Amino acid sequence: MTTPNQDEIIGRVADLLGVSEGRVRADVPLADLVSDSYRLVEMAIELQDDYDVIFSQADLSAVTTVGDLADLVRSRAG
Amino acid sequence: MALADDERWLLSYYRTSEINGSLFFGRLARALKPSPIQHDLTKHFADEAQHAWYWTDCLNRLGTRPVKLSEAYQDQYLEAVGLPANLMEIMAITLVFERRVINQYAKHLSVPDLRVEVKETIGRIMEDERWHVQWVRDALTGMEERFGKDHITDTLRRYKEADQEVYAHTLAEHEARLGFLLAPNHTEPEDRG
Repeated sequence: MTTPNQDEIIGRVADLLGVSEGRVRADVPLADLVSDSYRLVEMAIELQDDYDVIFSQADLSAVTTVGDLADLVRSRAG
Repeated sequence: MALADDERWLLSYYRTSEINGSLFFGRLARALKPSPIQHDLTKHFADEAQHAWYWTDCLNRLGTRPVKLSEAYQDQYLEAVGLPANLMEIMAITLVFERRVINQYAKHLSVPDLRVEVKETIGRIMEDERWHVQWVRDALTGMEERFGKDHITDTLRRYKEADQEVYAHTLAEHEARLGFLLAPNHTEPEDRG
């Protein structure tokens, strides 16, 4: 499996959160996009399923922005 | 005899915790791709919703209504251990939590002169809870190759330690309300954790 690029992952995050891609940029804090912390857990599970990667609790707690999340997926998929 | 305020509060607390569990597992069941875990999680979510109904009905049969509570046990849990980030961590926290639920309900069952409505309700719920522990334990065993057996064991240990802290904190916070569960003539059920 090839490593997904950042734009692709950001597009998938927008899909999963049901928000327009225009609102989801690398520098946007995830907290501005998710309605509650459970939504963040759901999205993390779906991303791991989609890209066949694993995040730990420590990985996710270090994520602040959409770009951080995309980098995490890329680092695990690479 | 009317249900005491403390017992009404506790049954309502159980109800709220069952609702929160159901909502979380329902959302997760919706997010997962088809798999044996998705299958069992969907049943688990349906059970928790049913348990919330059992408590609602039990309170009604006891001549009262649930107290509206904004917080459930799970909220304190996640605050203490942090958000789980992958399916293994979710299964591990669920296993620890389900064992806590079984212990708590067993403790409640051993209260002297327990009302028959409460006893019946806990009995019905306990049948499902045993299956919850079983399927989650099996799911974790199935994850050993992907996550590592030692890592799963460490995760369970970390969550169990957090659970003990949260439970002690909950008992201390609601000591006055839970006094009837802690009466001196009340035998503590063995730790099933």
